[in-house]
Amino acid sequence: MTTVSYVPPNVLPPFLQKFAPLLKRKWFRGLVLAPPTLTGRRFSNKTEDYGVFEPSRIARIAQVSIFVQDIARARQWYEKLGGLRHSRTCEEEPHPFKEGWRIRCCYMSAAEHEECLVLVEERDPDGKITIPSGMSFFHTAFELQGNRLEDVFAFADQAKQAGFARNYGPVRHNSEPPIGDGETGGNVACYFYDPDYHNVEFCGAMDTIENYRARYGDTKGSSRA
Amino acid sequence: MNAHVGKAPVAAAKLQHHVIYVSDLKRSKDFYIRLFDLQFSALNHPDSSAAMRLANMEMHFFSFGFYHHDICLVKHHKLQMDNGSMLHFSLIARDSGAFEAIRQRAKELGVATRDGRLIASAKAPLGGRAFCLQDPDHHWIEIVEEPGQ
Repeated sequence: MTTVSYVPPNVLPPFLQKFAPLLKRKWFRGLVLAPPTLTGRRFSNKTEDYGVFEPSRIARIAQVSIFVQDIARARQWYEKLGGLRHSRTCEEEPHPFKEGWRIRCCYMSAAEHEECLVLVEERDPDGKITIPSGMSFFHTAFELQGNRLEDVFAFADQAKQAGFARNYGPVRHNSEPPIGDGETGGNVACYFYDPDYHNVEFCGAMDTIENYRARYGDTKGSSRA
Repeated sequence: MNAHVGKAPVAAAKLQHHVIYVSDLKRSKDFYIRLFDLQFSALNHPDSSAAMRLANMEMHFFSFGFYHHDICLVKHHKLQMDNGSMLHFSLIARDSGAFEAIRQRAKELGVATRDGRLIASAKAPLGGRAFCLQDPDHHWIEIVEEPGQ
């Protein structure tokens, strides 16, 4: 299938990707944040986590469907990099909410999550395929088998060996050296662009209700930065 | 960090969280909290997060009640969001009571719903129900009831 080369505006340029690892250095984060530090805005607009964990009405995320230009190309990427399994690819069907449009869906499964990802080719009434804009979601994230820091580093290494280039990571989204990047969540993560420039995170060891208090007590994120 | 030398490749276990663009953080935050009782678990602000400052973004994190975050809302301060890269995402209700409560809350908020799965080819939950709605930025969200919950 012929695909159109399109780079969404939110894609990190290769030049900036080379600088991204510096976010693990506290001095670099301080440099970037010098203007709001000097004006005081840094202290009124705090980056912090709250350790709030109450039950919600939702148990878990079940499925994400994303537009792709070529199901075969996208499927191969998710199989080779993420180890996802192909469950089924369906015949074209009517679009669920656009009159006259059609979609074709490829359902992909992770090791412990059936049909969690749907790769969707969307076509207008003239048969023209949608070029994914990149501007509906910032990223989607898969938890890796093992769910430990070591598993994420092993994944990043095996991805590199297989020729997949990361756009960020591995980092840990907290402020703890040597791999903390000053963000929140505690997850160890690495990020890749798929063939349609969807940003995909592979992560593990995210803070949970079970370990948050043990790790941080009642200290908010801003106090740990 | 060489624990996996000689072992099987590490693969994705499951979909864990999803980060969507929104045009108005306050409006979307109110919507998700009121509809789903999501817990606001963290804030990454461009005035205090170097990564957010470089990316021109502000991110609000929400937890379903176990992980630090499951859904995040992000506002890009330079770029316009759209609905051109995602068809939908779906959420499993905690139990039948929660499924009904979300539907009732949607009605109270004046949010239109449609019954069934959004995509016709999606597998119907055996014995369970599903309905769909749109958030303020027209992202389609599917709510699924799992049988036996």
